[in-house]
Amino acid sequence: MKTKRARAAARPVALPPPQALWFELMQFYIREAWLLDERRLKEWLDLFTDDVLYFMPRRKNVPRRELQRELTPLGDLAILEEDKRYLEMRVARLETGMAWAEDPPSRTRHLIGNLKAAPLENGEVEARTAFLVYRSHLETDHQLLSGCRDDVLRKVNGAWKVARRTIVLDANVLLDKNLSVFL
Amino acid sequence: MGATRKYVVIDPATGKIDRRIFSEQAIYDVEMEKIFGRAWLMIGHESLVPAADDFFHTYMGEDPVILTRDGEGRLHALLNMCRHRGNRVVRCDDGNAKRFMCTYHGWTYRNDGALEYVPGESEAYYDALDRPSLGLIEARVETYAGIVFATWAKDAPSLEAYLGDARWYLDTVFNRRDCGMQALGPMKWLEPVNWKTLVDNCSDNYHVPTSHLSSARVQTRYLGRPPLSHEDQFASPNKHAFVNGHSITFRDADDNVPRYVHGVSSETFSLFQEYHDATMQEVERRLGTLRARRVQLGNHSIFPNGILGLRLALPRGPLKTEFWHFVLLDRDMPEELKRVIRIGSQANNGAAGMFEQDDVDNWRQVTAASTSRFGRQHPQDLSMGLGHAGPHADYPGLVSERYISENNQRLFYRRWEEFMNARSWADIPLDPIKAGFDGTATMQG
Repeated sequence: MKTKRARAAARPVALPPPQALWFELMQFYIREAWLLDERRLKEWLDLFTDDVLYFMPRRKNVPRRELQRELTPLGDLAILEEDKRYLEMRVARLETGMAWAEDPPSRTRHLIGNLKAAPLENGEVEARTAFLVYRSHLETDHQLLSGCRDDVLRKVNGAWKVARRTIVLDANVLLDKNLSVFL
Repeated sequence: MGATRKYVVIDPATGKIDRRIFSEQAIYDVEMEKIFGRAWLMIGHESLVPAADDFFHTYMGEDPVILTRDGEGRLHALLNMCRHRGNRVVRCDDGNAKRFMCTYHGWTYRNDGALEYVPGESEAYYDALDRPSLGLIEARVETYAGIVFATWAKDAPSLEAYLGDARWYLDTVFNRRDCGMQALGPMKWLEPVNWKTLVDNCSDNYHVPTSHLSSARVQTRYLGRPPLSHEDQFASPNKHAFVNGHSITFRDADDNVPRYVHGVSSETFSLFQEYHDATMQEVERRLGTLRARRVQLGNHSIFPNGILGLRLALPRGPLKTEFWHFVLLDRDMPEELKRVIRIGSQANNGAAGMFEQDDVDNWRQVTAASTSRFGRQHPQDLSMGLGHAGPHADYPGLVSERYISENNQRLFYRRWEEFMNARSWADIPLDPIKAGFDGTATMQG
């Protein structure tokens, strides 16, 4: 690390701002993916602001000309609509040793890509990513969850945090026995 | 009578159950015909099709069904199967349409089921097609307090007779207010579980402190909800009641305590209390004093596949069930209370629900054990509380002495036998309506 940092100091490269932002956010998402897959969930919780909304709407079959109805709006029944306290409660639940859906825990692999990022006027950033999450559980249960995340990120004390996450699954009837892993 | 005794799966003296009913395709096929082909099935809610020409796509067992409200406001349950070849005429989950066109050859049906247009009716069919006889197959539809039921059986009794005295208890949630309820949902997911285990689990209060202790503990810590233990459950004054296949659990309530579970926390409790107090006079007018003040409905199932109110266990073969989770809310409840209950409901139940996600691996292994040629030689044991239930002076149905009991579950499998052995509805016994339905609430709300 020292060598790298020394080299960077000696030969500063001024990346154009959009590229720098993209690079910074991609690192954020890669770190997040590893925290989830390594089951470091308390550290994962730190990636969210205290006022976070972690939202997963339902996705309906509607005609192409009515696609504005495809995702259920906030206020309708959702799959997840969690604040920070609910997320903390879910993580604390896993630590009781009796959260049977995840004990023994799932083996997951979060692949995050296709990042598009756009700064907002208030200093926050909109970031859109696609994900493929593989879940293997117990002996032979397995499932591939695919979808996208629409995030709003905010800098808090110099570090990016997710202030709002909307997770859109590419499924109508969820094919998994339950949704007990974080996306 | 014409009933056979082919399906004898539970020994009433011991509570032993033959595990083959959870896994055998041949038994499942008969269930589809004799249970799902006959019973009144919950298929949706009036609030899902509020306006003329609205439709909602649903299922009766494995059969896709379109719940429509026609131009005159009448409800229809139509088999989603073109009468020509069988293609579905609706592929969307819901919407608004006067007509449904089959995407194969263009046969077009009105939303009351009538076949309105056939391409080439003169040229290709020489005007010989008996179009009036080729409408979409229609089920009988009746509603209870806005919940829509349908049956394929022409000889089925009225929905009122089918629900019987179970409605005495159900009214305390689903028929509580003049304003009626609205449904939100469904959230849909596929569980590797036989449908009957989800249903019988509705009366299984024994599993709660083991299956759900992690969720109960963190909700006590984070939300200030009361703790949960086996000891509390065993000492609980709650009871089972069973009527016509419907499994009720209920408690003799303190009339000053709000009736809700989902969304209740130390912070939101006052909202629930205010609502309870503000509406009690109306509820008492609708349900009478005993039901308004002293009866609280707990977990329950409506035969065959209704789970805790309007939630559906849709069979998808013997080893799979598609689960549909809705939330029902009083229509004119304060918005903040609706929000809190909705979020609480989806956080507890549903695919990602903290409580419900812990059930599935237990249930699926019950199903999986039934596929084992060796394992299934050994029956399930449902002996809990045998001999400790009977008629009760105050409460309708067959009532258990205790809350933790397998009384309802045993009776559910007995009801299953009655349907499976019956040749027609004439062979299926119904308890007469005997309860005192005090108050103004009716089947229609």
